[in-house]
Amino acid sequence: MKQDEGAAWSIFGYLLSGLIFWGGAGWLLDRWLKTHYFLLGGLLLGVGASIYLIWLRFGRE
Amino acid sequence: MRSVHRLSTEGGGFVPPSSNDFNLPPVFGNSAYTTKPILLVFLSVLLVSVFFLLASRKAAIVPSKLQFAGESIYAFVRNDLGRDVIGHEFMRFVPYLFTLFTFILTNNIFGIVPLLQFPAMSRVSFPYVLAIFTFFVFHYVGIRKQGLRKYLKDIMFMPGVPKPVYILLTPIEIATFFLVRPLTLSLRLFANMFAGHLLLLVFILGGDHLLKGVIGLKLISPFAFAFGIGLTFFEFMVQCLQAYIFTLLTALYIAGALADEH
Repeated sequence: MKQDEGAAWSIFGYLLSGLIFWGGAGWLLDRWLKTHYFLLGGLLLGVGASIYLIWLRFGRE
Repeated sequence: MRSVHRLSTEGGGFVPPSSNDFNLPPVFGNSAYTTKPILLVFLSVLLVSVFFLLASRKAAIVPSKLQFAGESIYAFVRNDLGRDVIGHEFMRFVPYLFTLFTFILTNNIFGIVPLLQFPAMSRVSFPYVLAIFTFFVFHYVGIRKQGLRKYLKDIMFMPGVPKPVYILLTPIEIATFFLVRPLTLSLRLFANMFAGHLLLLVFILGGDHLLKGVIGLKLISPFAFAFGIGLTFFEFMVQCLQAYIFTLLTALYIAGALADEH
């Protein structure tokens, strides 16, 4: 039960990291290229990658 | 608008509590080191030390009430947070976990102790420092146990993934372990204590303000106070829970760093 609680917080952490890193990368690209769609793309990519990572870590057994 | 104005009290409107209520002036002198949160932190250290010294001083087979209370808290941290989470090497970490738990718990509960009534953890620097401690402890433990190379490799490269995917996943792993973990650990504690204290301020100060209003508002005032009292009990629960969560996550991070493959 404690491990489940820990897993819940890790999942939250991974989602946040994905959003921050790839969303941040997209935001920087947007600022650099004066566009406005890399942020959205980065956020989606980040969530996707995070969910993949979460599946790898917790869903594979 | 006019009727609303008539309802409010004569002398100035209600000033809702804000983050300014957390910037307390020095209790004495003119130093930034004599503010209420800092004095409360010192008091908590004193209280925790004295309590556990007294509880363990005349240890007997048939424990006194004090010894029983002290040992219950210790056993809870050692067994439920140490042994069950970390595994066979847990005894090394019990002192840290125990200090963390009792320190945070005492400071949190200060938030509802009459006259003290301020959780030091609602000032974000305190949780930051605690999270930095945990950050260094679990990374140090992992590096000592597995060596720097293997430890970092385990963090960065999840096994069983095609190589190009690492470009996508490795930054997320690094951000999680080195940024998001300490940040969420401290902000969760901070935000819970901050919000809880603000909530109590809203209802208690609001009730007080209503009491000074016209008769209709005076009648509503007891409900605000009743809510304030109810929320105080709720806060007690949150305060215990947050101390528990902080310690539990620290233990889980240590366990993860010790495990060969997290």
